[in-house]
Amino acid sequence: MTRFVVRRLALAALVVLGVVVLTFVIARVVPGDPAATWAGPRARPEQIEKAREELGLDRPLPAQIAEYVGGVATGDWGVSLRTRRPVLDDIGRRAPASIELVTIATLLALVVGIPLGLVAARWKGRVPDVGSRLIAVVGVSMPSFWLAIVLQLVFFQWLHLLPVAGTYDPNLDYTSPLRSITNMPIVDALLTGNWAVFGSSLTHVILPAIVIAAYPAGVITRMVRASVLDTIGEDHVRMVRALGFPERSVFGRFALRHAWSPVVALLALVFAYALVNTFLVEAIFNRPGLGSYAADAIGALDTPAILGVTLFVAIVYVLGNMIVDIVQATIDPRIRVS
Amino acid sequence: MSRIPSYPDVESREEVLAPPGRLRSVPGMIRRNPLLAVGAAMCLAIFLVAVLAPLIATYPEDAGSAVHPLQTLEPPSAQHYFGTDQVGRDVFSRVVYGARISPLIAVLVLAISVLIGVPLGIAAGYFGGWIDEVISRVTDVFLAFPALLLALAFAAVMEPSITNTVIAISVTWWPWYTRIVRGQAASVTGRPFVESAKATGVPHRRILLRHVLPNSITPIIVQVSLDVGGVILTASALSFLGLGAQDPTPDWGLMVSQGQAFFTTQWWLVTFPGAAIFLTAVAFNLLGDGLRDVLDPRRVLTTR
Amino acid sequence: MTSARFRWMVVLAAFAVAAAACTGDEGGGGTTGGGTNAEPDTFTYSVTSEVMIGWDPATGYSNEVIALHNIYETLTRYNAATQEVEPLLAESWESSKDGLTWTFTLRDGVTFHTGNPLTAEAAKAAIERTMEIGEGAAYIWGAVKKIDAPDDTTLVFHLSYPSPLDLVSSGTYSAYIYDTTASSGQDLGDWFADGNDAGTGPYMVSEFNPGDEIELRLEAYPDYWGGWDDADHYERYVFRVTPEANTAAQLLRAGEVSMVQRMSPQLWASFEGQDGFKTESAPSWQTLFGLLNTADGPLADPQVREAVTKSIDYDGMIAALEGAADPLSGVVPPGLWGHTDGLEYQQNVDEARTMLEQAGFGPSGDALDLSLTYVKGDADEELVSTLMKSNLADLNINLDVRGLQWETQWDQGKSANPADRQDIFIFYWWPDYPDPVSWFYNLFRTEKEPFFNLSYYSNPALDSDIDQASVVAATDRDQATQMYGDMQQVLFDDAPAIPLYTQVYQRAMLTSVDGFVDNPAYPNVVFGYELTSAA
Repeated sequence: MTRFVVRRLALAALVVLGVVVLTFVIARVVPGDPAATWAGPRARPEQIEKAREELGLDRPLPAQIAEYVGGVATGDWGVSLRTRRPVLDDIGRRAPASIELVTIATLLALVVGIPLGLVAARWKGRVPDVGSRLIAVVGVSMPSFWLAIVLQLVFFQWLHLLPVAGTYDPNLDYTSPLRSITNMPIVDALLTGNWAVFGSSLTHVILPAIVIAAYPAGVITRMVRASVLDTIGEDHVRMVRALGFPERSVFGRFALRHAWSPVVALLALVFAYALVNTFLVEAIFNRPGLGSYAADAIGALDTPAILGVTLFVAIVYVLGNMIVDIVQATIDPRIRVS
Repeated sequence: MSRIPSYPDVESREEVLAPPGRLRSVPGMIRRNPLLAVGAAMCLAIFLVAVLAPLIATYPEDAGSAVHPLQTLEPPSAQHYFGTDQVGRDVFSRVVYGARISPLIAVLVLAISVLIGVPLGIAAGYFGGWIDEVISRVTDVFLAFPALLLALAFAAVMEPSITNTVIAISVTWWPWYTRIVRGQAASVTGRPFVESAKATGVPHRRILLRHVLPNSITPIIVQVSLDVGGVILTASALSFLGLGAQDPTPDWGLMVSQGQAFFTTQWWLVTFPGAAIFLTAVAFNLLGDGLRDVLDPRRVLTTR
Repeated sequence: MTSARFRWMVVLAAFAVAAAACTGDEGGGGTTGGGTNAEPDTFTYSVTSEVMIGWDPATGYSNEVIALHNIYETLTRYNAATQEVEPLLAESWESSKDGLTWTFTLRDGVTFHTGNPLTAEAAKAAIERTMEIGEGAAYIWGAVKKIDAPDDTTLVFHLSYPSPLDLVSSGTYSAYIYDTTASSGQDLGDWFADGNDAGTGPYMVSEFNPGDEIELRLEAYPDYWGGWDDADHYERYVFRVTPEANTAAQLLRAGEVSMVQRMSPQLWASFEGQDGFKTESAPSWQTLFGLLNTADGPLADPQVREAVTKSIDYDGMIAALEGAADPLSGVVPPGLWGHTDGLEYQQNVDEARTMLEQAGFGPSGDALDLSLTYVKGDADEELVSTLMKSNLADLNINLDVRGLQWETQWDQGKSANPADRQDIFIFYWWPDYPDPVSWFYNLFRTEKEPFFNLSYYSNPALDSDIDQASVVAATDRDQATQMYGDMQQVLFDDAPAIPLYTQVYQRAMLTSVDGFVDNPAYPNVVFGYELTSAA
């Protein structure tokens, strides 16, 4: 088992390194001169040259990559050209809010997707199955930016039920300022007992969470349905049914237990997918987070920030994959050997 | 990461026993798979709209560079079914012509992805060893790369256009096919009759063409049909961000993006193009879902 | 999922909804008007982009001006309604007959936020530092040879050539008076960059959150020379960055912001006549041009240029902008002295076609390929570009429209290799101080290396006219007006640029905001001190 884990870790590190190199190469190809951006719009040529030296852009590419990788390992992810702060600091400030949003969205996707998938499998071929699968397809086909706008239109403009954008009412910064512990608004509000901000955050998170959860909910529905159907078809379940156990308990006790595994596998990937999707959603809902940070970075051609965000998301993805692999290997020893 | 893969395919006995692709009676198929029928019908409708666009659109020139600045932002009416946009163009005609663009992008992207991904996957699965390692690692790197970010980075580097959208998405899409096909190829390669064929000196090419490839096709077909929706969504997301088709191309994502500034006062600008994207994605997803059920009812395939 | 778990989730969800309902919220927005701001003595300005691009009053040349004009003050301020320069930090001024010596008498009892008093010496130090750094709009002080401060309230400028210093000192940029001793030892530029201010203005910086939606908070400076007791002034001034017009509109509707800098004409119209809201519109001095490449490419041919000026549907453009723009005659916008009527280009497709055909292009000739660049994200520029593309397509001209980041667009325009440059550069211009020379000096004067003259226009006769007119303006405004009229005629004939329109400010605000007057000399600046809160 240890050998398995170690091997997985090594592979993960290799993949992350590959992502770093790839991003670096792309970033250097991007038009626009990072040195000029750093020196400012009215900089003289000498000032731009000085900036180029400062940023280490005059060194050969492999040296730059090596320097960057070395820096990353020690916690120096470069300085953002736009905010002038260390990229790691920026990410540390912005990522938690996104992670919170994505967690809520993932939970929402599970709450919707799992029951739907179970219903579809239980009544396969009949109306509930068709209905669930239709809902799943709708979720998977929805353009997230369109869904966001339509939800805003319906729930804000026409029904006046929910706020249009933001993380929570900014006026609360004055009347009931939130103390930041984890940089996650809802969590912090809970931890500090700040109920005004807690409530406001919840109403603000509903629409973005729905938008992000739509696609994963659809995927989870299909996955659960397929996995349960597969399990039901297996010999031991067939036998139990043949022995006369009621369908309800066949389904509940035998099918469900084994249907978990692929959903677990899916979770990490759903999380990573949703994290990337915050890009669009945070822009539309005006929520500061990793996604909007990445959007600003790309818009401003802020290379270090783009690199940093890409690296972060890649690490999340790779780690997630690794955790999934390890969990599955723990459950199913056959996988360790493959 | 515009798609979420499932957990690795587990071989089941049924897969060996039931040959894929057996045709059943059509009415029976429809009754058993109403969703497939609906999906197929919708796809056909979209195809017809795209092909017959010049006949269906009420103001075909509005899908090009014509502008009518004196009739901007008019609500839906008898003259303009979907209203007019910010430079006075008929939204209905533009939506109709847009039906040519999204599926085209999807076809191109998937063709490229298959052409790159499948040979790599087969090579990795069949030959194994260090070839497999190298290909798999490279695939992993591309898979780990946040797909939307990579597509965005590409699109930001290159000039925004449909061609570059296709390239940007293809770069992030091909690894999936490599992975799927690799698993398939590896499992087929592992079967006794293939091993004995290799041992008796049958040339690789023949084995690949006559045994490995045909057994890998079904998941590819299903995957492609499932992916069309995903590619269309990704392409429209890129256009929405201004990195894909440019004005005056009647790309649906671009139209939603342009209409976003007006959505509270002129709701028709985002609603109709967005609905078009949605319905097209639904159509292809239903088709893909249904195909998967028909071709491989027992398999737990990579879901999208 | 077991039923126990499911039940637990339902309970959690119910709790969450209940908590949200109980703890109240801004009511989900979209409530009826009347819009009471959360705090009655706070003015919240919804702005379209990040405010504090730079902090140094000497070099600031960008959006930060809307904040700096509340934190800092200039010697004089221009009143666009009366077209007169009014006293601000200077109570009075006079110039010698030859316009070479200007004497300003400063106001008594003014203090900087640092506590130091405003003296002539301090003002001199500020202006000298601005001139020395030489960035931003420092060139406006170009005529100043020497500054004297004979006593605490007298400031004397000795000029090397006549220059209208009353106008210069009322400038939008680089004319602020600040305390150069504020940083005590540390480099002043760095001190400013840390988020500090050293102004005399009614508000001072209370909180700065870069990148956040509520980016900047200002609070009243208690010792402001204007005093706070004479009226119901706003005690706090908040800048809220909401690039999305829809969001801004909804914030206004909910009473969350007091005023919105910019929204689409359609959204603005939805506030007209609504209870609890006020709408105002006023012409600005922000002029949009299509700068034509006179140095390279097909547009170097004056006849082709003229044909292009005749192919654009100007009326349609104004109509499509639905009130956000006014037609522009000549280069100088209406409301600023020097404006000349009768210099608009008119669309004449037949003449355009003839001229193009003479040059070998047009519908019966070769296709003409032109490239146009504009700032990505600017909806108006995008609209204009789309319309132009369509107009030109009718004449067999393929206009390749490219929306770029400002830096990228500008870089391309300044390319060392002329072949890399664009044919048409869509560009806004507004003056650095209330003087027409700003357009001529920046956009049409010969430049060795392109900076803002992105039509690469070089007309030596015009160059000397520009120099002359700016000198004459110091002593004889009427004659200067005449000269600018003639110069605009020259530009009209040569067509290095197409004046597309003047932007019209469309502001929406709560009825509780009293006393707002749009001043085109200070674009998008809301002088908080002039407002009163009628809440």
